[in-house]
Amino acid sequence: MQQTEPTAARTPDAVKVVKTHGLPAIPFCIATAESPGEAFVGMSDFAVHRIDLGADKPEASPIGEARHGSYVTGIVRVGGTIVSGGYDGALIWWDAGTGSVVRRVEGAHAKWIRRLALSPDGTRVASVADDMRTRLWDVATGGCVADWGDNDVKTPHGYPSMLYAVAFSPDGRFLATGSKTGLVLVRDAASGSIAGRLETPVMYTWDPKARNHSIGGIRSLAFSSDATLLAVGGMGKVGNIDHLEGASRIELFEWQAQSRRAEIEDTKYKGLVEALRFGPGDGWLVAAGGDNGGFVSAYATSDGRLLAQEKVGNHIHDILLAADGASLVAVGHQQISTVTL
Amino acid sequence: MHPDHTGRGTTVHPQGSGVAQPGSGISRRRLLAMSAAGVASPLVADMSAIRLLRSPAFAAELRKQERRVILLWLAGGASQFETWDPKPGVKTGGPFRAIPTDVPGIHISELLPGLAQRMRHTAVIRSLNTKIADHGTAAELMECGRRNDPSVRFPDIGAIVARELGRLESTVPDYVSLYTSTEGRRKGTSGFLGARYSPMFLSESMTPPNILRLENLTDVDHHDRAALRDALARRFTAESRSLAVDSHLSAYQRVQGMMASADLFDIGREPESVRARYGSTQFGEQCLIARRLVEAGVPFVKVARAWWDSHGQNFETHQELCADLDHCMSALLDDLRARGLLEHTLVITLGEFGRTPGINASLGRDHFASAWSCSLSGAGVRGGVAYGKTDKEGHTVVEGEASAGDLFATILASLGIDPEHEYMLGSRPVPLADFGSEPITEVLA
Amino acid sequence: MVLLVGLGPATGSLPAGAAEWLPATTDPPRAIDHAVGQHLEKAGITAAPAADWPTLLRRTALDLAGRIPTLAEYEWLESLPEAERRLAMVDHLMALVDFDLHLRNGLDELLLPNNPHNGEFRDYLLWAVQSRRSWDQMFRDLMAARPSEGPEKGAVHFVRSRVRDVDELTNDTAILLFGVNVSCAKCHDHPLVDQWQQQHFYGMQAFFSRTFMTRQNVVTERPFGQVTFKTTAGEDKTASLTFLNGVTIEDRSPTFTEEERKRLEEQLRKMEQSDKVGYVIFPDFSPRRELVEAAIKDTEQRFFPRNIVNRIWQRLMGVALVDPPDQMHAGNPPSHPELMDWLTRDLVDQRYDLRRLVRGIVLSDAYARSSRWTSADTPPPPASYALAATRPLTPRQMATSLLVASRGTAMDVATAAEPGGTWSRQRLDLENQAGGWVREFEYPVEGFQVAVDEALFMSNNERVQNDLLRDTGDSLVGRLKASATDDALLRHVWRSVLTRDPSADEAAAATEWLARHPADRLGSIRSLAWALIAGPEARFAR
Repeated sequence: MQQTEPTAARTPDAVKVVKTHGLPAIPFCIATAESPGEAFVGMSDFAVHRIDLGADKPEASPIGEARHGSYVTGIVRVGGTIVSGGYDGALIWWDAGTGSVVRRVEGAHAKWIRRLALSPDGTRVASVADDMRTRLWDVATGGCVADWGDNDVKTPHGYPSMLYAVAFSPDGRFLATGSKTGLVLVRDAASGSIAGRLETPVMYTWDPKARNHSIGGIRSLAFSSDATLLAVGGMGKVGNIDHLEGASRIELFEWQAQSRRAEIEDTKYKGLVEALRFGPGDGWLVAAGGDNGGFVSAYATSDGRLLAQEKVGNHIHDILLAADGASLVAVGHQQISTVTL
Repeated sequence: MHPDHTGRGTTVHPQGSGVAQPGSGISRRRLLAMSAAGVASPLVADMSAIRLLRSPAFAAELRKQERRVILLWLAGGASQFETWDPKPGVKTGGPFRAIPTDVPGIHISELLPGLAQRMRHTAVIRSLNTKIADHGTAAELMECGRRNDPSVRFPDIGAIVARELGRLESTVPDYVSLYTSTEGRRKGTSGFLGARYSPMFLSESMTPPNILRLENLTDVDHHDRAALRDALARRFTAESRSLAVDSHLSAYQRVQGMMASADLFDIGREPESVRARYGSTQFGEQCLIARRLVEAGVPFVKVARAWWDSHGQNFETHQELCADLDHCMSALLDDLRARGLLEHTLVITLGEFGRTPGINASLGRDHFASAWSCSLSGAGVRGGVAYGKTDKEGHTVVEGEASAGDLFATILASLGIDPEHEYMLGSRPVPLADFGSEPITEVLA
Repeated sequence: MVLLVGLGPATGSLPAGAAEWLPATTDPPRAIDHAVGQHLEKAGITAAPAADWPTLLRRTALDLAGRIPTLAEYEWLESLPEAERRLAMVDHLMALVDFDLHLRNGLDELLLPNNPHNGEFRDYLLWAVQSRRSWDQMFRDLMAARPSEGPEKGAVHFVRSRVRDVDELTNDTAILLFGVNVSCAKCHDHPLVDQWQQQHFYGMQAFFSRTFMTRQNVVTERPFGQVTFKTTAGEDKTASLTFLNGVTIEDRSPTFTEEERKRLEEQLRKMEQSDKVGYVIFPDFSPRRELVEAAIKDTEQRFFPRNIVNRIWQRLMGVALVDPPDQMHAGNPPSHPELMDWLTRDLVDQRYDLRRLVRGIVLSDAYARSSRWTSADTPPPPASYALAATRPLTPRQMATSLLVASRGTAMDVATAAEPGGTWSRQRLDLENQAGGWVREFEYPVEGFQVAVDEALFMSNNERVQNDLLRDTGDSLVGRLKASATDDALLRHVWRSVLTRDPSADEAAAATEWLARHPADRLGSIRSLAWALIAGPEARFAR
């Protein structure tokens, strides 16, 4: 999701749920539409939906007849074109107006695509998937213009790893990815060379003793507008890995200096941080996610202190932050909510 | 009023005849003596022995005695959607696809690609409806094939197989159970069959407890001391005329053999190439131990792979656990087959229940016992069969509903053990498989 | 002498000569011996001779004190004239704290078999035993299951450990306290026993169906509630509170209006589910309390006293009078009906005094018989009591005995019974230490066999070698190595572990053993001690 130019700097002091509406399936990702009252959502019914945000009861309806082969986990929009990606490893280009498929790239990844990110200039779509590859696609032609590895295919414990998060810096210079095992790679978005490497191992809980598997991973990434700060979202250490019962966790890095400015653990609002956005002016950031329930929290970027937070329905998977930072739309487990900050 | 079962049944007695062949009266001891003696034995001079060698009962008995079981216990409850009964494209199906297998018409989850190429050895049962969805009670139900009764402690499948397929004078354990993780750890029980058939239980360490001689005692001393003990025990044992006292002697006589079997647990004795095939996960190593054990004649080995209870992040958890199961079980099946053991070894995947069709907000699935799956491979199994059907979204069984007792009976039947054979507990008959249960013949060879 | 007419309904006709010994004033051991003797005579079985006194000492110590005798006890008894030994031994053992601990352990094993380390429950039982609480009063404690800060508080665990499963609670109470397993009658009238029909099972269940536990873990009952069941004919029936003797108890719970009931339901729901609700409702009419009354008032069939007589008899004699002990019904009469009646009546008359019952049994000749059978003929049937049974020790008996043998616990017999004295304190220590060994031994059940695990433990575990067989201080091996002669050594080790002297053959074999490695005499001594503690004779009560 693109972040537009910030217009005013304000700090949230309260989070309020304005409205919540149920959805028939699980939405994983959301992108703005050309008309401001609408959005596009990728869902667990394998379809890309259009939603009218302004309506009292926002209904989701699939755009067109085509479907992915599995859950739609990434979506970006450039002008009248939507690009979606899913667990089927495919990328689909759509005409946002007609809903027809412009292009379908099967096997864009060998395994499940986890997220898409759009370059600020709208020319590139970045995709990350569990084949542990980071790829760049030309929005206009659909061609693959870059294919980067550098993430281990297996976790240190010998199991298949996952590559969950990807984000461009607002100036388009950098592309960050985050993995299951807590490795953040920041690349030069043009050349792919690695400009920075951060580790957030707390976000990966491996339990060798009780349950013999892992949980967690880096789920969200966001750059400040000048690209100096990188926020990394996930979950803190978990005791019982059957549940998302770890504290929600954000680590805020001055990544070029290899230094961590803040470490935010919230035991009151537990679970994964699935989405992160910097507010206009970069003085604060908003985090959303959850365990079974969802939350939206705002923190100051200077020191990581909590500004405001609220529980918001079910586990949130993605958000759209308004340009003025005063509200956001959150999509979570079978619901969509509007929240003011 | 009630038929007298004493003729048909077997008293629960360690030295009693365990063969359920009415009328033939082949005592297990005699049988073993004969099979061990071989053709050159003077026993062959006895015409009755030759007749027995040719009898179908004997042949069946011999076949039965070659059978082994490896139970891969998927502790915590694996999701049938992410393993044997995928339903892609429906609301409850999750994100993973179904892939074709080497058996036309059968598809399983894409998370088990290796096993998909080994379906010809495997029968999948998709129609388990066992109704109980709490870990402890459900585990007990699946292990014993029936609910426990306050007045009867039923033996689990391992103990029954140990009794029916084990050898009395065996120098290897009859029943080994490996459960390393702490969550849901269960030892297994021999119930009323008594301590003779209790599992050798390994948890923290893969060296069985008390199996290694103490360092400050030489091998000779250990032997000599044991011989002294036996000598001094003789008179008391003879004069007390008690089966319990006799069992004390048998227990000590098995010590040396059990100690010698310590090596079976040491995978360092396997070539690197074999170890590499199983991989370095704990489950892989324990599957290799299981192969070593059955190869040495241990009739029943349970390897628990905990912990599948994915109330949150079901898809992430199954990505890891299914990868482990797929890799290790494929290696195990291949290894058994290469050694000519697969036709004698029944490999089971089973947990205490399956997982809900509904996906919760943590992207998890919860406990579900109304429509779930298990698999049987190898000995006595008709491979390439998918038995039973669940409805479109996997909420209920629509064809071939099977209870825990039915599965239990099926396992016994595949091993050549009569599920209707009865143990007599006092005057109470206890059939091996619960009353009213039937083996699923469609999955039997 | 007052002649009492035969008691009890059709449980077998009275044998000839019954009139001679039915009087209540008869000494219990005499009554036992008379009854057992009569049956032996009728069956033409000759009883085995009496066991020699060391055998009897060992057996009695295990049964009264939960452990083998100390050397001091052996030597003390040896010094007494033959005729005095029996009574002196029993009086001595029953006066020790050991008796209380062992009786407590026995009741614990009976009542919470699946939960053997519940400290609170064990504390309650010890207090009850030591304060001479009668068995009927203990039954009241168990069924009341009231929260308390007093010494009865542990009693709650009998119900609490089963509160989540009303079938289990019903069945276990019936089996363990009344000797009756009606679980078959749940689904259909019992196939073998006309006496047990579905209405009996559900009638019993009705005493427990209102029981539940609040979120704060307090056991209580609902003020209303019925049990309904489906007969095999498909008919729906409501079960009334019916005790095993068929007597129905009137349900005297108050009636509530629809409105009141709704409010109560809400309160009950909160009690069961809410973390915040601190209050508990205890209704005046308690079906569980009614069960106790019904059981005590049952003077005809007397399930309650008969059961405990049967259980205690079984523990001491090896075979229950009614076997199996959970099948007390008309179709399964006691092996000695008049004896069962007599002991039952005696127990009730003497206010459910378990000590008296135990004492009576251990002082009988039937208890004191030899268990050795050297003839080639089939031994007499166990239920004839012609031959003493060879019984496996319980894990507690085994653990405590191993510690007594190896720790060389000194004992001053004369002062041993002093409450709080040296021996009492030592014995309590032993009780605690034994807890660390009990898991290595299986509890003896029907068809008991020793597991190879136990043999491996004894053979290879370093605790056995380094603790039980250490040679420092006052340990067994330490004393053995200080023995002046081989003879003294052998006598010491045989007496310490097996409460007897070695036979000539044994002495010869052991002497040869000690001589085999003169350079490592200590090792040989240690191995000899091991051979005895790991032997069958140490594992069983002969």
